[in-house]
Amino acid sequence: MTPLAALNTLRTRIVLGEAALVAGLMVVAVIGIGALRTVRSTVTRELEALTAVSAQSNTLVTTLFEQMRAAEQYLADGSLEAVNAFRTGGETAHAYQRRLQALPGLAESDRVVISQIQSLQAEAEVLFSYAHAQRDLGRRADALAGAELARAQASEMLRLLSLASASQGARAEATARSLEHAATDRELLVWTVLVASVLVAAAIAVATLRSVERPMARLAAAARRFGDGDLRPVALGDMPAELAELGDAMYRLGGALRTLVSEVVQESERMATAAEDLSAISEQLAATAGDVSTAMEEVSSGAQKQVAGLAESSNAAQTLYEAALDAGRASRRVGELGGEIHRLAETYSTDIGAASTALVELRNLVQHTAQQVEELDKLSEPINEFIDLIKQISSQTNLLALNAAIEAARAGEQGVGFSVVAEEVRQLADTSAQAAEKVSGTIKTIRDQVAAMGETMAFGRAQARGVGSVSRGAAEALRQIVGAVAEIEKESQRVAGQAQRNLSEIEHIKLALLSASDAAQTHASSSEEVAAAAQQQGASTQEMAAQATTLHRAADHLRSLVRGFRS
Amino acid sequence: MVACGSSDQPIVIGLAGPFSEPSGQSMQLAAQLAVAEINQQGGIGGRQIELAVRDDSGSVGVAVRVARYFYDSLDVAAVVGHMGSEATLAAARVYNGGDNPLVSISPSASNPYVSDAGPYTFQVCPDDDVHGAQLADWAYRQLGARRVAVLYENDADGRGLRASFSQSFTELGGRVVSEDPFSPALPGFEPYLTRIRLRGGADALLLAGTLYGAQRLLTTLNSLQYNQTILGGDGIDGIEAFDVGAEGIYISLGYLPDQPGPRNDAFKSAYQEMYGGRLPDHRGAGAYDIVYLLSRIIERVGTNRSRIRDYLAGVGTEAEPFDGVTGSIAFDSAGNVVDRSVVIGVVRNSQIVSAEIQ
Repeated sequence: MTPLAALNTLRTRIVLGEAALVAGLMVVAVIGIGALRTVRSTVTRELEALTAVSAQSNTLVTTLFEQMRAAEQYLADGSLEAVNAFRTGGETAHAYQRRLQALPGLAESDRVVISQIQSLQAEAEVLFSYAHAQRDLGRRADALAGAELARAQASEMLRLLSLASASQGARAEATARSLEHAATDRELLVWTVLVASVLVAAAIAVATLRSVERPMARLAAAARRFGDGDLRPVALGDMPAELAELGDAMYRLGGALRTLVSEVVQESERMATAAEDLSAISEQLAATAGDVSTAMEEVSSGAQKQVAGLAESSNAAQTLYEAALDAGRASRRVGELGGEIHRLAETYSTDIGAASTALVELRNLVQHTAQQVEELDKLSEPINEFIDLIKQISSQTNLLALNAAIEAARAGEQGVGFSVVAEEVRQLADTSAQAAEKVSGTIKTIRDQVAAMGETMAFGRAQARGVGSVSRGAAEALRQIVGAVAEIEKESQRVAGQAQRNLSEIEHIKLALLSASDAAQTHASSSEEVAAAAQQQGASTQEMAAQATTLHRAADHLRSLVRGFRS
Repeated sequence: MVACGSSDQPIVIGLAGPFSEPSGQSMQLAAQLAVAEINQQGGIGGRQIELAVRDDSGSVGVAVRVARYFYDSLDVAAVVGHMGSEATLAAARVYNGGDNPLVSISPSASNPYVSDAGPYTFQVCPDDDVHGAQLADWAYRQLGARRVAVLYENDADGRGLRASFSQSFTELGGRVVSEDPFSPALPGFEPYLTRIRLRGGADALLLAGTLYGAQRLLTTLNSLQYNQTILGGDGIDGIEAFDVGAEGIYISLGYLPDQPGPRNDAFKSAYQEMYGGRLPDHRGAGAYDIVYLLSRIIERVGTNRSRIRDYLAGVGTEAEPFDGVTGSIAFDSAGNVVDRSVVIGVVRNSQIVSAEIQ
């Protein structure tokens, strides 16, 4: 992961924000501690320096006074004790001066003053020693004169000592002031860094909240759109990596749903077209069956007329002569009727052939539709997988929200804003789960519909098979009618030919007539059979039409369902 | 950093001492001789040396002002000086302070406290402890003296030599009969000398002081017609040139013009040639060595003050000892000059010669 990409995760942002705050506080702490230490060590150092200087100075002053007192005392009493005190005092004073000079906390001006004091003390020592020597030699006046010179040096030295003490006091005051300034400066710096680090941390917190809130709002809007059935692609824009992952999943879900819906729409369109075709063929078939039925009724009435005609011929045989005269007419009439029957039978044979062809087409169509319905059923499988995916995403999101809520709780006050965000994430997960359930229900409805359609298709297919056998029976009956009619024609022609010549043949004619009457009765019953079959076919066709309507309605319903999705 | 500054800018070395007084003259002349020699040979890495000479009169106050001037002149790389311990100690407070401390090397400040004055303060001469011990030994063993009166200049050098001599002499079994301080302000030596005489006299007098003090004391002795064996520290080096009856005075010295060695021969002849036959004293020889030592260091590390100090402190440990006219110069880890021996000279025919080769 590149550093820039790492910056675009909620985790990194929260860590950065916390780190900035902690770093700022640490800087404040370091500066604070450093300031305290500096002030403390400075105070300690300055105080030590001042203490050391003033201690050495005080001892030096005391020693110098003591030495000068001893010098005066020796002049007065010449005691060994005084001269020893004078000498020891001098050595001690020189040592103290050296130590004083070695102190680091001494100003240069102070050093110059100490050097001057040292010089004056050296002079005073020399002059007092000189005076002492004069005194030892008994030259009291010279001794007093020498002492006078020494005292001048000594008093100048003591004056400088008092000046040095005063400068020590001034120096202590200046030190205190500079310490106060330093402390104030450090305090200001601490406050500045503190405020700056709080501002930086707040800025990072606000930026992080925004970087969560805005993408979350966009994701929620996208989820709502999906829920409302608007599956068009959504531009989610830049967002932190975790949310971007969620956005990607939603984007993929939308794409998958869009593909699915468009395929369902196509299938339902195709199904509707098939149902319409089926409906049209059913109607055509029904019309054809009606025609067959009508024709058959006509055949039947023709046959009855023939039977009546033949009965009449039989009665007229008694009166053969006139009957023979009529026989030619009757035979012609029979020939005409037979021709008519033949014609009709031919005509309906063609119609039935057409109907049979239409029925085969219908069967094929129904089988094809059944295949498509099965395919549709198969297509719903991936939808279930997508629903599973959505459920998975929502449960992961739920988990993420829970983690975020825990992190937010851990962050304490800083995490309050983020816990609201976490709750929103969790709600979004719930919404996603609900949407998934809704889509699952819809898909189940579609599958049920598809299953119902499959059953209808199976029934239609069985019916189509029945229609085939009926139409074959009708065709067979017609062929028999045509054969019988052809014989009638032949016989009637023969009757017509013989009626002129032979009365004796009346019996034969009677027999022929009886035979013809039997055939006619057979014809009539065959015709009724055909009519019944045609009627039954018509009923089947109507039922099929009703099924086609059901199929059409199912297709329409399917179409209206998927029309809810805008892809 | 070695090539600090442009090559046409001279390298500045400070020189501080009481040059208006007789004791300080050889120091200035020898330092100037060394600078002239180095510049004639092309300077240091092509850059000439410029000597910034400041007279401190041997006074503490003036020494501090001079030190402040050198310290604040950032082009001053190091200082040769000061001459006496009093001035050197006072100036050391300035040189060792602040953010940009400055090296000072004294040719003749012999007080033991000088090497403790700060990390930037050095001396190349033997200190008073060495002088005092050597003088005490000479007085007790060579001169057979048992009673010695001490007259000391009441400054750092005088008190230092007095203390070390008295201790060593007492330890040898001798007796210090008196210790009397003097200074230029002293009205006269006569009361001290009279008192010594009244109290039983002394086999020898130790004169722990300056050239001026020695002149005054010798004049007084002459006027009182006291014939006294006199010993002196190196502070009175140069007394031989004055007509004050200095014949026979013993002086302890870290350097004698007649000490053997080719380096010293070359130095002595160059000095005599340049300054009309005069001989250098121990202060001059020390200053001459210090100028050469500094030029060698600056050639290595440039003019950065702290780098000069660090290299100088390592001479004898991290770097080779410096072979000068006064002998080998080396410092121990505490910055004290080591192995500086003292010889006893004696004034003969207005010249100081080695007393041991008598």
